[in-house]
Amino acid sequence: MQASLEMMGETEIPKMGLRTLVRRAERRHFMTMLALMAPSVIFVALLFVIPILLFLFRSVDNAEIPTLLPKTAVALDTWRDGEIPGEPVFAALASDLHALKGSPDAALLGRRLNFAVPGYRRLITRTVTSLPGTQMASAKETLAAIDKSWLDPVYWRTLKSQSGRITDFYLLSALDLQRGAGGIEKVSGEQAIFMSLYGRTLYTAFGVTALCLLIGYPVAAVMAAARPAVANWLLSLVLIPFWTSLLVRTTAWVVLLQTEGLVNKVLLQLGVISEPLKLMFNTAGVFIAMVHVLLPYMILPVYSVMKGISPVHLRAAASLGANPATVFRTVYLPLTIPGVAAGCTLVFVLSLGFYVTPALVGGPGDQMIGYFIAYFTNSAVNWGLASALGVFLLLLIGVIYLALGKLVGFDKLKVR
Amino acid sequence: MNIKEKCRVGVSGLAVMLIMSVVSQAASTEKLTVVNQGGAPGDAQRKAVFEPFTAKTGIGIVADTYNQELAKIRAQIETGNLIWDAASVHSLNESIGCDEGLLEPIDWSKLLPEADFKAVGGFGKCGAPYLVSPGGLVYDAERFSGNEAPKSWKDFWNIEKWPGKRGLPYQPDQVLEIALISDGVAPKDVPEVLAKPGGVDRAFAQLEKIKPHIVWWKTGDESMQLLLTKEIAMGYGWQGRVNVANRSNKRNLRIVWEAGYTSAVIYMAVMKGSPRKQEAIELIKYTLAAEPQAHYAELMGYPPANERSFALLSEENRASQPTKFLDRGMMQAGDLYIDFWRDNGDSIRQRFSTFAAR
Repeated sequence: MQASLEMMGETEIPKMGLRTLVRRAERRHFMTMLALMAPSVIFVALLFVIPILLFLFRSVDNAEIPTLLPKTAVALDTWRDGEIPGEPVFAALASDLHALKGSPDAALLGRRLNFAVPGYRRLITRTVTSLPGTQMASAKETLAAIDKSWLDPVYWRTLKSQSGRITDFYLLSALDLQRGAGGIEKVSGEQAIFMSLYGRTLYTAFGVTALCLLIGYPVAAVMAAARPAVANWLLSLVLIPFWTSLLVRTTAWVVLLQTEGLVNKVLLQLGVISEPLKLMFNTAGVFIAMVHVLLPYMILPVYSVMKGISPVHLRAAASLGANPATVFRTVYLPLTIPGVAAGCTLVFVLSLGFYVTPALVGGPGDQMIGYFIAYFTNSAVNWGLASALGVFLLLLIGVIYLALGKLVGFDKLKVR
Repeated sequence: MNIKEKCRVGVSGLAVMLIMSVVSQAASTEKLTVVNQGGAPGDAQRKAVFEPFTAKTGIGIVADTYNQELAKIRAQIETGNLIWDAASVHSLNESIGCDEGLLEPIDWSKLLPEADFKAVGGFGKCGAPYLVSPGGLVYDAERFSGNEAPKSWKDFWNIEKWPGKRGLPYQPDQVLEIALISDGVAPKDVPEVLAKPGGVDRAFAQLEKIKPHIVWWKTGDESMQLLLTKEIAMGYGWQGRVNVANRSNKRNLRIVWEAGYTSAVIYMAVMKGSPRKQEAIELIKYTLAAEPQAHYAELMGYPPANERSFALLSEENRASQPTKFLDRGMMQAGDLYIDFWRDNGDSIRQRFSTFAAR
């Protein structure tokens, strides 16, 4: 300490020390950078990150029940599953429910509990409307007289498991699980819907990605090898559909693919088929339309990487005696891998969230996770479940991205 | 013009635009914003109801469209940012919206003669019925005629005698009801049977019998397209769609009313907290009056909700109405029916989508 101070005193020029100067300049540079980036950072944070986090929080948020039934939540703390609760718990519930009389909150509470047990809504509505205003001798008898269901532990178990501020109910539901008497269990077969839905979503996304690669790779190679004028022309052919609205393109496929559509008519006229093919409202339709919509996302990154490959490498390989297949396999293909990886990631991630296209050209067996997120958001107004499905969709994308990154290297996943 | 001048012109231009937009917003606040399903029914409502109403009262109307997404109503109420004043809601949403405080509770029996609306289930706690949309067994009369024609839902289930695909909507409501009717349940008893334990299982078991032959459609347009292109031998279809399809394609699709049918009831209701509640009530009263109801029915082909309107219908339109078979219709209204779907709708829909996807 002493020594360094002395040294500072001895060196007169520069006064503050070079390191400080450099640091100050760096800080100024950093501040300018921050100021330049601020608008976009604030924009993304306010309108993208925060709303998404808020919506994802809904998958565990459970403010309704503890707020609307505060006394019951406390009273249920000591209750053990399997038995009918004692008088104090019934009294707490009666008092909580009485406070909801005439308020829309009763309906909201009923709706929330009905997500867990169908019929719970009516139980709440009936109890709230029939509850006498005056002091009752026994809350237990009064409630049981209004509806015998209050003597069924199922309803109490649901209340208890849902009485915290945070709930795992939606996340479990999104995995076809529920809390039963013996802890977490699978829901019955006909209600189990989501696990097969993730499977179907993944399968469709994989299939579409593979088809896009199969079709897009040669196109990109031709574009990269063509004369600039031809390449520009080809590029605009790829880009024009890219600039067309998704809905328009999907509807166009409806016109083409239907039984009386253009594709079937032409094939029938040519005598290729004797009766119309079923091209719509099935998996074939979904694949055709989705591959078409997503093809530019595959072609463009692959093309830009291919453009950067110097023909010198290929010529060198050929001059060393490699035949075209070997040149392709050992030189060209490995060099295009970054583009392929980027294109596949893009197409895969985009197709995981597809919703409009399968809804329009798919059958009941082709709906993907996005369809149900939209359904639970808009029609069923079960935002907790919609958000839980979103959480797992996001996780799915994250896991796939990590796996792909490990496989080909994260630096190669970037789109250039 | 130098840069400064250009800036000045630009700024004053912006200011003018800003003032204009404020003025136009002020003007639009005097108008009533009503949301309905849009499309052909929306056009018909504009012609038959909104335009004459504006001419009569001077109250302008802005129509918006939505697809019965309750979430859109809830979002407006929760944020306190009301865009709509009145909304067209189906019976289930009328009941939910009313209980959850999204719609204004209004005692319509004090404002309108209740007897005229008895046949469609009367008034709701918040909404008043203005539209009935019946749906039944539809076939192409050019394909099956005379004794060949299907006469009941039992025939719909009879693939041997009437080979070919069957069109049904991709939704459990209306479909489960139809399945029960085909299993011999009288349309009037359907809500009761459905709500009983085992009722849903019975409906699904009945659907299972013809499952490989079902083509599920998602829009009304599609339901008619499937019939017109002969992709299906017969299907479930809504009356308004059948009328439009016949008129614009010069075809002869026929609804077998006597087989039994379901009738969706659509209500008009005032959004909770609307600053133009009085005007909205006036509009709804006008919508339900006999004359606009008849005019609307002529345009869309749906039966009017107001019973007195039937007398005002043209001979041709009256002939196409299920008036003679009212006892074969099942109104999608009433406490039993609504409570059943409110309590079990979500779980049935999950079961239905696994069933249809299998």
